[in-house]
Amino acid sequence: MSYTSMETNLDQQFDPNRMTTYEEEFKWLKWVPLILEILLLTWGMINLSSATAVEDKSAGLWKTQMITIGIGTVGTLILMFPHYSFLSRLAYLIYMGNLGLLLAVLAVGRSSLGAKRWIGFGGFSLQPSELMKLSMVIFLAKFFENKNTTNGLKFKDLIMPTIFVLIPLALIIVQPDLGTAMILMLVYGSILLFLRISPKLLVLITIAAAVALPVVYNYGLKPYQRQRITTFIDPMSDPKGAGYNSIQSMIAVGSGQLVGKGWKKGTQAHLNFLPEHHTDFIFSVFSEEWGFAWCSILLLLYMLFIMSGLSVAYRSNDKFATVLAFGITSIFFWHIFVNMGMVMGMLPIVGVPLPFMSYGGSALLTSMSGVAILVNIANKKYMF
Amino acid sequence: MSFIGNEEQIRFLQDRFKYIYGILFIGIGVLLSRMFFLQMINGDQMRQYSEENRIKRVKIPAPRGMIFDREGKLLIDNRPAFFVNITPQYLKESGKPKEVIEQLSRVIKTPVEEIERKLQKVKGQASFMPVLIKDNLNRDEVAALETWKINMPGVQVEMGISRMNIAKDVGSNLYGYIGKISTTELPGLNQLLASNSSRKYQLDDSVGKSGLEKQFEEYLRGVDGSELVEVDAIGRSIQIAKNKGRVLAQNQEEPSVPGKNLILSIDQDLQNAAMKGFGATQGGLIAIDPRNGEVLAMVSRPSFDPADLSRGADADIWAKLISDENHPLRDKTIQDHFSPGSTFKTITAIAALEEGVITKDTTFNCTGSISVGNRAFHCWQKHGHGNVNVVSALTHSCDVFFYRVAQKLKSVDDIAKYAMHLGLGRKTGIEVGREVPGLIPTEAWKQQRFNAPWSSGETLSVAIGQGYDLTTTIQLANAYASLVNGGTLYKPTVVKTIQNEDSKVIKETIPQILDRTNLKKETVELVTEGLWGVVNAPGGTANWLHTPGLEFAGKTGTVQLFTQKADKLYLKCTNMPYKQRHHGVFVGYAPIKNPSIVVAVFAEHACSGSHGAAPVAKEVIETYLKKYYPDVYNDKAIAEAKKKPGAVFQSSGGD
Repeated sequence: MSYTSMETNLDQQFDPNRMTTYEEEFKWLKWVPLILEILLLTWGMINLSSATAVEDKSAGLWKTQMITIGIGTVGTLILMFPHYSFLSRLAYLIYMGNLGLLLAVLAVGRSSLGAKRWIGFGGFSLQPSELMKLSMVIFLAKFFENKNTTNGLKFKDLIMPTIFVLIPLALIIVQPDLGTAMILMLVYGSILLFLRISPKLLVLITIAAAVALPVVYNYGLKPYQRQRITTFIDPMSDPKGAGYNSIQSMIAVGSGQLVGKGWKKGTQAHLNFLPEHHTDFIFSVFSEEWGFAWCSILLLLYMLFIMSGLSVAYRSNDKFATVLAFGITSIFFWHIFVNMGMVMGMLPIVGVPLPFMSYGGSALLTSMSGVAILVNIANKKYMF
Repeated sequence: MSFIGNEEQIRFLQDRFKYIYGILFIGIGVLLSRMFFLQMINGDQMRQYSEENRIKRVKIPAPRGMIFDREGKLLIDNRPAFFVNITPQYLKESGKPKEVIEQLSRVIKTPVEEIERKLQKVKGQASFMPVLIKDNLNRDEVAALETWKINMPGVQVEMGISRMNIAKDVGSNLYGYIGKISTTELPGLNQLLASNSSRKYQLDDSVGKSGLEKQFEEYLRGVDGSELVEVDAIGRSIQIAKNKGRVLAQNQEEPSVPGKNLILSIDQDLQNAAMKGFGATQGGLIAIDPRNGEVLAMVSRPSFDPADLSRGADADIWAKLISDENHPLRDKTIQDHFSPGSTFKTITAIAALEEGVITKDTTFNCTGSISVGNRAFHCWQKHGHGNVNVVSALTHSCDVFFYRVAQKLKSVDDIAKYAMHLGLGRKTGIEVGREVPGLIPTEAWKQQRFNAPWSSGETLSVAIGQGYDLTTTIQLANAYASLVNGGTLYKPTVVKTIQNEDSKVIKETIPQILDRTNLKKETVELVTEGLWGVVNAPGGTANWLHTPGLEFAGKTGTVQLFTQKADKLYLKCTNMPYKQRHHGVFVGYAPIKNPSIVVAVFAEHACSGSHGAAPVAKEVIETYLKKYYPDVYNDKAIAEAKKKPGAVFQSSGGD
């Protein structure tokens, strides 16, 4: 299309002169996601070095996390500079590749704690379900790039993308990795709502979900998964058994009070009352040792981080990039919300790590790649 | 540009951000309120709960698998070990830390300064974490500590498991030792275990650090169980929680699963015979069954007692073991390589016979030395051996014969070929780890290593085992095993089977063939005849050990550590400083027909193979023959054999 036709479509808000000054004035904004990532990672490592000073399987793991950060930094530099449109070109390939990895997990995966989630590469192991979050967002951004959704998505519009989401979802559920599956569903839902679902369909989905929920609860879940939900509703029904983790975690958070017990001085974590204190329950270690004052600052940082991601999505002038940035940001948001909600006893216990704080290589690499893509989008806007 | 086509949609999407921000602020608001509720409103109560937290899951350590010999005799067992801890926080709260430390110092007979130093060292860690003060407490110390416990707040006695070698230090280099995992080891160990995380290691776990304990860690280690224990606010256990009659989790006690047991091919009687044979001599002995590669005995001297190292060794014991210049921690059968000395002549003889440069009738005249260029090559027998053929050359270990053979061979590579096929100069692959490869020199090797061509004089040194060649005791045993079984080189193995606690076999070792040399029948006959003569013919280098009725064959070797000038060559070895004395080597086998044991002995600085190494081998061979062939080799038969005329020769023994 020609330049003139574009000009006719512009309204006063999009005055090119105003745009330029606005952008130049807030040039530094483009780096905000990265700056916040560095802040959160640093704080996360300080906390992890306390959490892994416990005499159990986690001892000394912060060193492994440092190595992952090193690898992630290289990955960030690689992902940040080429024009992000390569992600659009490779979107389906990335999706298929990740699907292949998920199948490989089924075939040759390593199991741990009764779940088969990892594939080993020499000394390293990779968790493809973590990477799938990012791959799926790239896939969806590409899928909806040329579809007009202003009038709301109809049922037939949803058939194809839902199938493409359900395939990896099924592979992840059989691992089983319910936490990741839940995040995938939440992110998919967020993207659909962002793109707009027609009101009629939305009502229909809500009714269908209400009907399906008890069925899934009774027949779809394994007994231990059902138990997690019962104990969530009433943790005191079995305080030393199934409700143990939830209660101990809440005690850890609460006992931090205003200023915390001090770094490396959390009794809940260091006396082994907290399960998985270096991975999913890392926030309970943090809140026990740092207290409400620092917890609210951490939460503020996370909020600013989400806002910076949303602003990248908002200011992008490319639909693929808008949906991609939004999708990535929603991954972060749901991780933070579900993890903290679980640690503070508001949500049932599912394995969802806290971005930049939890120990875990694949999750950290996924997070760092996500930030790299956000910064890439923010910086490439005016380069053509 | 996509902006143009999608502009309407992008603007539509931008419009939706107001809802998105709404959801974000609600979400963050919910989290913040919950945080405020838990930490600020309920904080006091939660803090109190955390201080009263009494139920703690503690580990029940799984017993480690035991190690047995081929007849089921227990070699390595677990035994309880007591150790004493101090929890710094509780010590401080007692208000009299100095008195407590002083009293503890008296009970465990450890200087106050040392206890304080140990407490000082862990200043950075949380003060409610116990600090190990002393390991391996004896019964009296445990009793005294239990008595004085009330007066010593912060001091606890705990029990752990230590490894015990029933025979103290016999074979410890083979079995290895366990020790506490260090912070640096832990991530690496767990990385390998990603497949089974219920077996993940924790910091106070023990892990095999050397020998079979290390190589078979995955089998020997059990799966720890756990139970809920009532503890006080600083983590000291009060009692098992279930005894309080509380309703606890359904999985309150997870039993531990013991580790798997190893059944070795080792025969403890032969191990003890080797020990007896060595006496004060140092070195290594390995006995192999030439029919399948099973290791029957494997002993290294001096050694150590694994019990001293099990639970974080005493710093003094460690320092002593590490700085000991006789290397008690090293397995000398596989980790020490040395020039094989005259034991290598067997290989040279095989090479010469197989390559056809000599026959059984070839003789050379030994005058005590030969000259090559302007250099003289001496025989160990100053006045020479006269006319010798291949059989008598082996029997008398005549150097000159093999110098002449070396001159006739096309190149050193002819010797190297047979040496390598017989397994010399490469790792045998025995499942113990830490093996050194040794070295068999070739022309190409020298060119690459020194960038210089091979000189023919060097072939002479190689021919008598004094050149660049380096072998380990296990390689020598295996090479001779291959010779006496007709050329099949087996991989030596120590572990026969791995069994679980109810003796069900989980894994069985199958003999594995590494190489096959098609030796001519005549070659084997001539060489073994020469080896028979070493012990049994008049003038044989180990003839002084000849016992009628207990026939065995073998080859002696004496390894000079330094190239010596002619005037020093014949100096009496025992007059030299210990570290400069020759090594003694002996490789023997029995019975003469259809051999079923090959014994190689490396006697460090023992001056000669005949007097230092061969008697050790004889001790093992005698024990073996009497035990496994009681019909043929018994006291009655030996006494009868002695009566036969000309049964005993007199000889002082030689090289």
